Amino acid sequence: MIESQCRPQFNGLELLEDAQLNKRILSTGCERIDLLLQGGLRVGHVTELAGPSSSGKTQVCLKVASHVARKYSGTVMYFDSGNSFSPKRIVQFLTQESDPANTEVDEIVQRVMSSIVCYSIFDIFTLLDMLHQLMNNLKSEIGCNVRMLIIDSLSSLIAPVLGGGGAHGHALMVTAGFLLKELAHEHNLSIVVTNHMVAGEAGSSKPALGDSWKSIPHVRLLLHRYRATNDSCISILKHPYLATGKTMEFMIT
Amino acid sequence: MEVSTLPISASHRGKLISSGYTSLSSLSSVSPSRLAQDLKISENEAVEILKVVSRRSGSEKIENGNHAIMNGAQTAWDMLHEEESSVCITTSCSDLDVILGGGIHCKEVTEIGGVPGIGKTQLGIQLAVNVQIPSGYGGLGGKAIYIDTEGSFMVERALQIAEACAQDMLEYDNLLRKDSQACRVIKQPKAFLENIFYFRVCTYTEQIAVINYLEKFISEQKDVKVVIVDSITFHFRQDFEDMALRTRLLGGMALKLMKLAKQFKLAVVLLNQVTTKYKEGSFQLTLALGDSWSHASTNRIILHWNGDERYAYLDKSPSLQSASAPYAVTGKGIRNAAPNCKRVKLM
Repeated sequence: MIESQCRPQFNGLELLEDAQLNKRILSTGCERIDLLLQGGLRVGHVTELAGPSSSGKTQVCLKVASHVARKYSGTVMYFDSGNSFSPKRIVQFLTQESDPANTEVDEIVQRVMSSIVCYSIFDIFTLLDMLHQLMNNLKSEIGCNVRMLIIDSLSSLIAPVLGGGGAHGHALMVTAGFLLKELAHEHNLSIVVTNHMVAGEAGSSKPALGDSWKSIPHVRLLLHRYRATNDSCISILKHPYLATGKTMEFMIT
Repeated sequence: MEVSTLPISASHRGKLISSGYTSLSSLSSVSPSRLAQDLKISENEAVEILKVVSRRSGSEKIENGNHAIMNGAQTAWDMLHEEESSVCITTSCSDLDVILGGGIHCKEVTEIGGVPGIGKTQLGIQLAVNVQIPSGYGGLGGKAIYIDTEGSFMVERALQIAEACAQDMLEYDNLLRKDSQACRVIKQPKAFLENIFYFRVCTYTEQIAVINYLEKFISEQKDVKVVIVDSITFHFRQDFEDMALRTRLLGGMALKLMKLAKQFKLAVVLLNQVTTKYKEGSFQLTLALGDSWSHASTNRIILHWNGDERYAYLDKSPSLQSASAPYAVTGKGIRNAAPNCKRVKLM
């Protein structure tokens, strides 16, 4: 009975084949971020974008959503907890990328916008419900080809339950994290979550959600915006195969 | 423990686990009366728990086509069309409206912060009046909820602003619609006051209670289009010993307000105070309640003095660029800045 519960084994060669066939790299739409990440966001990875308020996390999420929906076939799911999903901004990104002489821009916009699905989530339990439902749908392959899942922002859903003496909030956070990793790996999705910052020691800031969250995402990126010039800077906090501490300046117009 | 991820109360969860129901499969085949007996709870409560379980197990089939992959989801294309047909709440200051993309948007939470005396409450009262402008004049024709935590709402001032608004609508009629006899809705200033629902809260528990109650209130009233909280920070700043509790309460409150905004398609306006923060070697003014609260709003506007004039700066927005605009607080309310509306110098 234990054997039937055990997950199937893979040897190294099978894993490599799976990686080459299924786990593609999705470009983010922003050249410099792609340069930093050596291609972009990898399918099967959970990527965390942390940063202080107004550093551009939602903008990067919208840009990635519009680019991935346009360039790769398949649906992009956007879970929004702050009513910040802006269809107008997605149209702006799409028209920026198109050739101005291209007369089919409207059709492209319609096709792409119809494959971005946005869902508003306002508490952690609904999030867990939706993730389970997504997992069930993907397992039974009901007509959807989900390429990417973006959760903006995960930290505002977890913050109201985290802490306070009980470990219940903590358990919910870790459950959600493992569910995301399973979704990403088993069903070949790329997952992006955003996190905010809290005060750390000696006046510096650190990403929220604590130490146990640190080991859950595969890739952790930190965003920072310079007020004076409106440039942004992205740096790697954690990555399975790239060096940490690498930074790159970029701008979202 | 799958049962710990269900949205049920802590006592029910404890009873389930101690009776041996730790996984969803164990709950899928038990009858409500058996469950009520095992847990020593009423049968209604057992039925509620089983409903939650069946929702989680995904036993409800999806009927819609493969666009809405999950219930309640919308494609960006549909949302774009909805957004194009939505109306904003004007602030009566055209410069400010321009940087806000038309005014205060519905379905979004806007945070407005500034130093004392800059005009936050004035802006709040102006919005409570402007939301009632009928749709014939380009407004929403809705009602307002004003939650006052500081006691700064003055009814006489609201009446003054309402009179000025009615006056403006009359002038608009005379200037532009000389020929239309129909749809001349003359709104009395007192009628404006009738449509502002005023709540006064004195502690943070009252504040949280009011916000929890709003859902029921708004579904009964049906026409509320703006909820103004003045100010959201007051009761959370003094004497809060447990900062972690404060963060959790604020996080929960922020999500409830977001949900209200989305569910009832109304605008939520939160007025905030400022504090100083030591950053990059100097003390800077930032909005109160810390870093975690700064993520609670969709848009953020900071009101500040620039020399002797009042300026509004759009700090955070998902689709608009940061920009600044001057405005003035006059006898009629918030209006465009004019050369004579400067700060009074105290000798």
